[in-house]
Amino acid sequence: MEDINHSLSTPEPMLLVKSRRVVKHLRKEWQLYLMLLPTIIWFIVFLYKPMYGLQIAFKDYSVFKGITSSPWVGLEHFYTLFNNDQFIRAIQNTVMISGASLIFGFPIPIILALMFNEIINPKFKKTAQTIVYLPHFISAVIIAGIVITAFAPSTGVINLMLNAMGFDSVYFLTKPEWFRTIFVGTGIWQEAGFGSIVFLAAVAGVSPSLYESAVVDGASRFQMMYKITIPCILPTILIMLIIKIGNILEVGFEMIIMLYQPATYETADVISTFIYRQGLQAAQYDLAAAAGLFNAVIAFLLVITANTISKRVSKTSLW
Amino acid sequence: MRMVKNLVTSIILSSAVIAVPAIATSADGAYKVSEKPLKLDIHFHTKKFVYDNNWLVEKEAARLTNVQLNNVASMTTTKSEEAFNLLIAGGDLPDIVGGDFIRDNVNRYGPEGAFVPMNDLIDKYAPNIKAFFDKNPDIRSSILASDGNIYYIPYLPDGKYGKGYFIRTDWLKKLNLKSPENVDELYKVLTAFRDNDPNGNGKKDEVPVFMRNWEELIRMVTLWDGRTSGSDVFHDFHVVEGELRHGYVGEGYRTGIRNLAKWYKEGLIDAEVFTRGSRSREFLLSNDLGGMTHDWFASTTGYNDSLKDKVEGFEFKALAPPASISGVRVEEHRRAKVKNQGWAISYTNENQIETMKYFDFFFTEEGRRLANFGIEGKQYDMIDGKPIFKKEILENSAPVVAQLWEVGAQVQRGFYQDYSYELQWSNKYALEAIALYDQGDYLLKPFLGVALNEKEKAVFDKRWITIRDYMLEMQQAWVLGSRDIDEDWDTYIAQIDRMGYDSVVKVMQSAYDRAYKK
Repeated sequence: MEDINHSLSTPEPMLLVKSRRVVKHLRKEWQLYLMLLPTIIWFIVFLYKPMYGLQIAFKDYSVFKGITSSPWVGLEHFYTLFNNDQFIRAIQNTVMISGASLIFGFPIPIILALMFNEIINPKFKKTAQTIVYLPHFISAVIIAGIVITAFAPSTGVINLMLNAMGFDSVYFLTKPEWFRTIFVGTGIWQEAGFGSIVFLAAVAGVSPSLYESAVVDGASRFQMMYKITIPCILPTILIMLIIKIGNILEVGFEMIIMLYQPATYETADVISTFIYRQGLQAAQYDLAAAAGLFNAVIAFLLVITANTISKRVSKTSLW
Repeated sequence: MRMVKNLVTSIILSSAVIAVPAIATSADGAYKVSEKPLKLDIHFHTKKFVYDNNWLVEKEAARLTNVQLNNVASMTTTKSEEAFNLLIAGGDLPDIVGGDFIRDNVNRYGPEGAFVPMNDLIDKYAPNIKAFFDKNPDIRSSILASDGNIYYIPYLPDGKYGKGYFIRTDWLKKLNLKSPENVDELYKVLTAFRDNDPNGNGKKDEVPVFMRNWEELIRMVTLWDGRTSGSDVFHDFHVVEGELRHGYVGEGYRTGIRNLAKWYKEGLIDAEVFTRGSRSREFLLSNDLGGMTHDWFASTTGYNDSLKDKVEGFEFKALAPPASISGVRVEEHRRAKVKNQGWAISYTNENQIETMKYFDFFFTEEGRRLANFGIEGKQYDMIDGKPIFKKEILENSAPVVAQLWEVGAQVQRGFYQDYSYELQWSNKYALEAIALYDQGDYLLKPFLGVALNEKEKAVFDKRWITIRDYMLEMQQAWVLGSRDIDEDWDTYIAQIDRMGYDSVVKVMQSAYDRAYKK
């Protein structure tokens, strides 16, 4: 009996020891936790608390009645969405556009970072960097204006060049087959420079001694890049890739709204623009919430998959 | 009768005021709503402004009615919809709620209990509003919620004409063409604009037809007896003899689009019409390139003055709608008779009768004048019994309407606009254009909108936007020539049917019958 009692009571001292250790740790590292606090608060206020509102995806939501007193409708909004051909098309378009952005857009910042790393003249390097960062700071409205003007059929730069080469003008922005190319291209032009900053930082973190010994061994610059720089920044690349995959369903919504036309819905209409048109017209917040929830679930699955693959292949993972 | 007498006295009094201090009118107390001064909270948010307690019009109304309004709407929010949603989600509504999108909002949340049905209140306490509705039963029908109640007093614009056709009349003279009277002549004129170099720069760079909104181009299907909308919103339904229809399934629309596609292909229509956007009018006119458009009277006629020195001989005058293939002249756009703006009484209001009487004040002659013209002696003077703007108001460099907004007049509270206010400051070309349109009978019977009940709304929300987007997608493809309307037409109609077009028309029709058929 005594033995049993004793063995039953052992976890308590264990727990005590553990919690004491935690308190000690907290006391020692409290400054670090204090710095963490704002982020935690931000997460709670802006990401966890709003999750309460997600339930309107399953309700017939009225703003006046409020979230709690609006009646439940089950999966009705999801049925509505998936019975709509335009929603299915929007999912396809979203995946196509994001996929293209990822495939063509992801490697470019890395290449840029590697190229910047090879520039020796510091003045030239800084100027070049500034120039490629700049488009990132221009607002979407202005970028859209530039794109519309550049691709205009009568006086646009692109068409003037085509004409000079003997081709006919093309009204690019009303041609569904051109929309993705223009949109993805614009996105790369705008973000590649800024995206290279992370990789540049990673490149800067590579130990100089590796390069020094490589020089002694007589390695060429290209070999150093290929054998040292890239393997060293691979973890950063993979983490960035996982994050990108998590955002794959979030396409730059304002840009599409400003660039698309009914004529290009066929390839340009993505989930967010579809919801914008459906939701704005009738203030269907519940339907929009359902689509948003669907979006989030898919993104979550994608992140888990990407993370698992990365963990298996390269031992690098988010968690 | 007594009301009328009071009105007459007050008009006489107020016209006599010119020399006398303004206090004179308040002495009779004709408009006094409550004995004790009453203070009501108001949430009034529009795209341009929120209610301002310091507006002179508010102060004058408070003096006359003894009701003072106190704004509680956020001054920092710029989006009226957001401001309203925040308000309604909080549940604690102020006495009066008004501003943009008010019809949609009250007709949605009114039946749920957020706003007070006004039918009885109007009958008992608002003789002037009642008289207005008796005279305009279609307007009354148009604001009813699905439960048959009135939940708001609307802003009611006056005047008939909003947009019209405009053409470079100096180009016509230069090329020895006469003003096009029908669609075939219009075709010839536009072809001549394209080929005969009316701007005389030796280049074939003229853009015969341009539009700031591509939807206005589609509206040209009226030249082939098609329809695009019955209200001042694009792609809306229209009414033919009590039956709701949509233009985009009509035979006239098919003919119209076929011809517009041909015009587009031949270069008679701006190649960039779908993307050039709002800057197109300014750009094409000031560079002496644009030939014809369909746009607002007031702003478009203004170019006659502003480009006078820049473009030699520039003359951009209104063109009466050319006759369609069946010989009918149609101007499809007209000013809305009733707007989705105004004000409503919320369920928390403890002074509903006084509030109703206050609303009614703006439908009395004096109240209407106050809401339209501002303060006598400051913005206008009474001359021969008519309010005439003061010279310094008309000659000020700021637009007249902006000066009126500054004092709280022409603000979209529930009131009936008086078109004569606008006539006084319209430029002479606009007046000329409106006179031209007034000679003919070009307008069609407007569709003033319906309130769907919950079941109807569910059907409409689920189907309509999807159908409309499909219609627009095909529409642009046809005009651009990437598809052929005659090849597609049967599958197009079949597809629309499959998407539930009939059920949408059915719910619209039942809502229409409920409100408009007695």
